[in-house]
Amino acid sequence: MRRCTTLWYAAAVVVLFTIWWITATIVSRPIIPSPFLVGENLADVFVKYIAIHGAYSLWRIASGLILAVAVGLPLGVIMGYFSRADRLLAPLVYLTYPIPKIALLPILMLLCGVGEMAKVLMIFLIIVFQVIIAVRDGIRSIPKETYYPLYSLGASFREIFVEVLWPASLPKFITAVRVALATAISVLFFTETFGTQYGMGYFIMDAWLRVNYLEMYSGIVVLSLIGLVLFGIIDCIERYVCHWQYK
Amino acid sequence: MIEIKNLTAKYQSEHEVYTALEHISLEIPTGGTCAVIGPSGCGKSTLLKVMAGIIQEYEGDVRIDGRPVKPAEQKIGFIPQNYGLLPWKNVDDNICLGVKIKDSAAKVNRSKLQKIMVQLGLEGLGQRYPGELSGGQQQRVGLARAFFLQPDVLLMDEPFSALDAITREEMQDVFLLLWQKYEVSTIIVTHYVEEAIYLGQKIVILSTKPGRISKVIDNPLFGGKDIRQQTEFFAMGLKLRNLIKKDWGK
Repeated sequence: MRRCTTLWYAAAVVVLFTIWWITATIVSRPIIPSPFLVGENLADVFVKYIAIHGAYSLWRIASGLILAVAVGLPLGVIMGYFSRADRLLAPLVYLTYPIPKIALLPILMLLCGVGEMAKVLMIFLIIVFQVIIAVRDGIRSIPKETYYPLYSLGASFREIFVEVLWPASLPKFITAVRVALATAISVLFFTETFGTQYGMGYFIMDAWLRVNYLEMYSGIVVLSLIGLVLFGIIDCIERYVCHWQYK
Repeated sequence: MIEIKNLTAKYQSEHEVYTALEHISLEIPTGGTCAVIGPSGCGKSTLLKVMAGIIQEYEGDVRIDGRPVKPAEQKIGFIPQNYGLLPWKNVDDNICLGVKIKDSAAKVNRSKLQKIMVQLGLEGLGQRYPGELSGGQQQRVGLARAFFLQPDVLLMDEPFSALDAITREEMQDVFLLLWQKYEVSTIIVTHYVEEAIYLGQKIVILSTKPGRISKVIDNPLFGGKDIRQQTEFFAMGLKLRNLIKKDWGK
């Protein structure tokens, strides 16, 4: 089964590169270089120029994500388990959730400067709401009967969290992170075009301005790979911690 | 010993207060079983929830071995209708959950666990998840969890109602076997007359709206050999049915 899936993924990669290669051949202009040339360039400049930018981007995503989980998870648990807390906090969450967070970027930049803080906070804002809502809904959908044996054992809140709340909300929590991450990467690109000389967003835009299309494409490939690797890691984590779901 | 004196339990819904149980008084000796039978909505489950410490607001006095119900201090085994297994835990971990919370994970006696799994025909299934088991197997895991805890009192809410007739009878026998071995005071809520006769030393008939005790019967057939095949069993079933019909028809 696993081998079969890997094979399909390999086939998809081949198809995508073939489409790219055919397009490059037909257009035949430097604006769409052939994937082979990009691969060659990537091998040349990755360690020299791109790696540091990739590391910056990863650091920003990771800190935004960790911050969002650290804030969103407890809030989601509290809102899901204690209906009184939900009644108090739900309006706040619902009113702020639909605001396109990217529109807040100018304000964040004015408040926190154009440095790292604004970028990390932007990613945090995008992920945190999805985490709060997913965890809350995950906990709310647990049937009441699930708690009864634990109540009758006199379990503490900590035990109920460890035995029920955490494992029950985990699948929804991971899905939320996965969905939010895709948006977070796009926004990361955008924020990295301001006030920094590091990050994949900066590298790609800088290569574009220098009309160095090969480097620009190399940057796009690396940014895509970062997204792919993050997705892969989340998938692996999900398969490991939620394997009971697939039984 | 389970003592219930003058128990009244009410539910507060949005607009009205609903009395689920009224003036329930009942005594079950240590190591005895009691089957509670009643129509839907008569407060059978409410009675169990009070006993299990899940509902804590009620009037009257409920004691287990002379002490008021406190889940943190007593060992209460509760098997809800859907067996209460956690889908994210494998069979081993589900069975050990009670001991883990009451004592600690380190105190789980592996050889005892093995023994109870063999008794219940669960050997080799320890690593499976509830979703991979049949209804009967899930019920066995629920029973294993309850008996592995060696509770002061065991509460079962229509435990066999989701099983097919043959599996149900099989599980009733499994329960009786375990009960004889561990001598746990047990309350079984059911809506099957035959189940009440087969499993209850005492049979309590509840009437509905609000739930009151309409009759307590000391069951002379309990524990008899092959009683399901005996004519007395059918006669008793008929008698109970008639009693119930008259009572619930009021």
